[in-house]
Amino acid sequence: MKFSANGYYIESYQKCPNCGILMYANAEEDKAKRVEHNGEIYCSQRCVDWSIDRDARRAKAEA
Amino acid sequence: MRKTIGIDIGGTFTDFVTYDPETNKIDNWKNLTTPSEPIKGVMQGLERMDDLESVDKARLGTTIATNALLTRRGAKVAYVTNTGFRDIPFIQRGNRKAHYDITWIKTRPFVDRANCLEVDGRITAMGDEHAPLDESAVRDLAAKIKADGTIEAVAICTLFSYVDPKHERRIREILLEELPDMPISISYDVLPKWKEYDRASTTIADAYLKPVVADNFRRMQARFEETGLGKKVGVIKSNGGEATLDNAADSPVQMALSGPTGAVVATRVMSELTGIKNLVVFDMGGTSTDCSTVVGGKELVTTDFEIEWGIPIQIPMVDINTIGAGGGSIAWIDKGGMLRMGPQSASADPGPACYGRGGQDATVTDANVVLGRISPDNFLGGEMKLDSDASHEAVGRIAEQLGMEVDECAYAMVQIANNNMLGALRAVLLQRGLDPRDFTLVASGGAGPVHICDLMDISGIPQGLVPNFPGQFSAFGFIMTDARVDRHRTVQQSSKFFDGDRATEAMKDLVRDAVKELNDQGYTDGIEVTRSIEARYLGQNHELELTFSGEEFNEETIAGLWDKFHEEHNARHGFAIPGETIETVNFKVVAVAVGDKPQMPELPKTDGKLAAKTKRQVRFKDSWHEAAVYDRSDLRQGDKIEGPALIEESASVTILQPGQSISVDRIGNLIISV
Amino acid sequence: MDFVTMNILDSAMVSICREMGITLMKTSYSTIFNEALDFTCGLADMNGEMIAVADYCPAQIGGMPLLVQSCLKEIPIDEIEEGDIILHNDPYRGGLHTPEHTFFKPIFVEGEIMGFAVAIGHIAEVGGMAPGGFCGEATEIFHEGVRIPPVKIVKRGEDNVEVWKLLLANVRTPRVNYGDLKALIAAVDLGEKQMRGIFAKYGKAKVKETVADLLLYSEKRMRAELEAIPDGIYSHEDFVESDGVESDKHHRIYVDVHKQGGSIIMDYHGSSPQAAGPINATLGVATSAAYNAVLHMTDPTIPRNSGCFRPIEVMAPPTSLVNVDFPAPEVGGNTETHPRIVGTILGAMAEALPDRVMAAEGGTHCNFVFGGVDADTKEYFACYDLEAVGWGGRSFADGNSAVDSINGNCRITPVEVYETRFPWIVESLALDTDSGGAGKHRGGLGYTKQMLCVNDEIICSQMTDRHLLAPWGLNGGQEGGCGATLVMKDGEEEWKTMREAYGKASTSRFNNVSIRRGDRVQLRMPGGGGYGDPAERDADAVISDVKDGYISKEAAAKYYNYKEA
Repeated sequence: MKFSANGYYIESYQKCPNCGILMYANAEEDKAKRVEHNGEIYCSQRCVDWSIDRDARRAKAEA
Repeated sequence: MRKTIGIDIGGTFTDFVTYDPETNKIDNWKNLTTPSEPIKGVMQGLERMDDLESVDKARLGTTIATNALLTRRGAKVAYVTNTGFRDIPFIQRGNRKAHYDITWIKTRPFVDRANCLEVDGRITAMGDEHAPLDESAVRDLAAKIKADGTIEAVAICTLFSYVDPKHERRIREILLEELPDMPISISYDVLPKWKEYDRASTTIADAYLKPVVADNFRRMQARFEETGLGKKVGVIKSNGGEATLDNAADSPVQMALSGPTGAVVATRVMSELTGIKNLVVFDMGGTSTDCSTVVGGKELVTTDFEIEWGIPIQIPMVDINTIGAGGGSIAWIDKGGMLRMGPQSASADPGPACYGRGGQDATVTDANVVLGRISPDNFLGGEMKLDSDASHEAVGRIAEQLGMEVDECAYAMVQIANNNMLGALRAVLLQRGLDPRDFTLVASGGAGPVHICDLMDISGIPQGLVPNFPGQFSAFGFIMTDARVDRHRTVQQSSKFFDGDRATEAMKDLVRDAVKELNDQGYTDGIEVTRSIEARYLGQNHELELTFSGEEFNEETIAGLWDKFHEEHNARHGFAIPGETIETVNFKVVAVAVGDKPQMPELPKTDGKLAAKTKRQVRFKDSWHEAAVYDRSDLRQGDKIEGPALIEESASVTILQPGQSISVDRIGNLIISV
Repeated sequence: MDFVTMNILDSAMVSICREMGITLMKTSYSTIFNEALDFTCGLADMNGEMIAVADYCPAQIGGMPLLVQSCLKEIPIDEIEEGDIILHNDPYRGGLHTPEHTFFKPIFVEGEIMGFAVAIGHIAEVGGMAPGGFCGEATEIFHEGVRIPPVKIVKRGEDNVEVWKLLLANVRTPRVNYGDLKALIAAVDLGEKQMRGIFAKYGKAKVKETVADLLLYSEKRMRAELEAIPDGIYSHEDFVESDGVESDKHHRIYVDVHKQGGSIIMDYHGSSPQAAGPINATLGVATSAAYNAVLHMTDPTIPRNSGCFRPIEVMAPPTSLVNVDFPAPEVGGNTETHPRIVGTILGAMAEALPDRVMAAEGGTHCNFVFGGVDADTKEYFACYDLEAVGWGGRSFADGNSAVDSINGNCRITPVEVYETRFPWIVESLALDTDSGGAGKHRGGLGYTKQMLCVNDEIICSQMTDRHLLAPWGLNGGQEGGCGATLVMKDGEEEWKTMREAYGKASTSRFNNVSIRRGDRVQLRMPGGGGYGDPAERDADAVISDVKDGYISKEAAAKYYNYKEA
């Protein structure tokens, strides 16, 4: 979640595509854990792995 | 002042206390309760007295109403209400007992749905007749009840009857024409307050109790007549006051909570005798502890009682908070490895391990034995010897699982039990906006004096009081109480459009009714009347109670009322809203026939030569101490004792921690200070 | 671990939370507060972890951790000063929905923040398109009411007047809102004061250490409960029947519950994208619903705090029905979609824990809200109040009738209070025969409330569900009865839906319908689904149900082979 330069309002919201938590632009500790995958930013490697697993499981179930 | 006897029928024991004004002596004894027919135990106990004819008044605490409600052995009730509203007792309030318990089953009301009957007719919030009462429908209803043949009582509750009772009264009139012997309760008589479910529930309970209580009292009256006590028997109501048997039978819901009120009344009396204005009493039994307060010399009366979760009985009752912690509370270890006490109790059978009746569980009593606080040789005046080894073994089994020493474990058990009781103390103090530091803690029940010093320590209450024969404090309360009538009614008005005349009329009615009820019971002298009003800011939904000292509502008394409200609100909640509209909700009147009180016998003054009878090792906090042991019967007025110490008496022991001290007052109370 | 101190401290802190709640009950204005008890009070540590809470409203108990932590992510801790009270209701930043206002006050001990006192309450009137806060046809947050980012409503012990003025200018009932806000502030003031007493008594270090142990203890106990549930992936789905805007679209709630050792993860991927109308749930709701379901399935004596929630994780896809993005509408998410998510999780776990779940409950709070001008005082009035539903049958008992949906535990307003406050006359409040789904253990009954309007005009809105899609049964149990909202205009003789009478897109969600003097409204609440095959129901239970009128003879014959004696 990104604040405007003057800090008075929010310019944009960004959420982890897997778990859905809000990712704060100025949270240094959290930022360090973020990972990019398939053009999107995830909050952590775990969420990336989970996404991949889920897609694979569901694809298999459909087949 | 007449010779009085107080009789408290408890779960295990029936206690007797008598006061003789001529000799100024108080006498007390107990015997086992006969649960199947409690009056038997009472008659047995009375045989101890060889001068029953000299008794002028007997006051009985009876649990007949409470038990009938708890065991569901009351009458078959027909409930009569407005068309469209027979389901009020079933819909109830819509909430559930616990947030996360999927096994909960909603409490059944005391009436069957098939016996809930409706008639046309409707009063509005303003008291207008939106639809007239359909009298022929009422007669049809009466015919239906007659034909059914199984209905034993009728409860009538219509919407807004507290504003205008005419429909309820007319329904009763017609039903009595058609069913002349039917016991009938109307909500206007039982509880003329708003919120239809609470009122209906209370009225149904009253009808439910009428036949069983009337029958029981008739039999009791007959037994008492055999002994010559006959007309001299009164019962204690849930407001702590006394009523004649006839009066109580007319309005049996007034006794729904009778037993524990004795200790509260006794505490109020103690306030008068000692001059201590604010007291909080904890009455500790084997299974549970009841807590209650006396503030400014007056006991607190509430209307928030529920006989079972979800079944309100909202008549004025002494405000008691009960917690499932007592001398028999059992120690156990939960799935997270934490030590817990109760609410399961070993009761009297098999009882704590030390009772030697086969109990294997470690209880609070066993912990107290291990810690040296209860002497195995002094239990029940030596009539019963406790098995100290059994206590050590039982507590040892728990200690092993926790990796603790036996005495360490016993100490932890007592701490946790005390903490559970602290919850009840907090409920009656902090949750009602009262500061523990302003209070004196009173110990009642056999186990009370064992724990009072601990409770003072963890609650921040700076002073304690252990009365004479604490195990019979309740029965003592009964002989000290007065006849008392509480009358409440919802009279809703806002400060913006306040009708002083209407308010004056309503208050006058309540006073007249209350005084008349006392007159009907034979009391004409010494009647004291207190008036109060429950009010709130317009929009709030909970009221503050204000005493009203005027006799009428005029410009001056009304303005005074509003000022007082803002002050009270600020004191109680930390803020006020000046200029905001205030609404009156309930008018309350309390009428008490104040009788002469016993002069408590004074102890002779001390000669300064008090000596301990022996010493023993007692564990306090982190270590064992040598504590002096005294016999209470050796104490004299003015004696002072420093902790660590124990003061033993026939049915109890008072424990004093290091750093605490006791002084003995004029009438023999042990006053504990830190 | 010092269990004794932990036990004592935990009960002291829960007691404090209860005392905060009592203050709220006694001083608040909205009946939703003081009759329905739609609020919660808790304590948090300096990191925003919930350390104690009193049992008032379940939805907010589960929502509290995320709410406080979200605010702390935005406000640097060194900008919070002694005597400050922070207010927040933003659904997109940890909130539940716009009416839920969170207050928290820092607890300073020797100049250091040691924790927070927290109170969350539902404020009835929040501005926006509909009086009473539930705008059934909203399409964006700006329709739904005032959105408050974390702001200091009290600064160093003094009211931050500019904030008050701005808030009260944007609501229809400033006098009532003022009273409610004051009540919430009094609650956190009390909590803070009491907690300073606890710190004074035990010392900072001991409290900090004991609280950390307490959270760990709760976590251990929860993991032990979860371990006992068979590992696996359990799935279920349910549908919200409409969003008030695109009326015939059904919106899917889907969950894969992953039970792995001492952990449980709710994966909501597969739920529908967010709707155009205000049925969307926030991440706070999706999380709170997960906690609620797990608490129902586990030992309820585990002390409730962030520790017992650690083993529970939530994965809610962004821009979906269960994790709505700004600026999509959300006010119905916390009351309506919330209980449905809980029910879906319970349904998923039916095969693993048949004795700790139930068939679908009604799953709605009715949310019939209204406003108007009082003919006598000329003052504006607004009402938000709720109704109860039938609960689902269980493996061991029938469902309870007329109980508030699972994400709340609120009381319904008594008729006598309702009519004293608002210009309606309630003509009946009656359980609906046959509304409990048939089963070995039948569902609980819903009820109907019928009212007559006695004011010139009352503007009504509603956000409810289960008019079309009935509450589902479990293990062969039948569906429960649907709800309905009907109006009979003055002079007419037919009951019509809102669609039929006012051309609204949906029968269950609408804004600002003008009800006139003499018009009648019926609110019918859904019953619960049944559990098990009706053919197995105990014959005496059927006879008793017919005698009591819970089941009609016809239905008894149809489902239970009942024959009159």
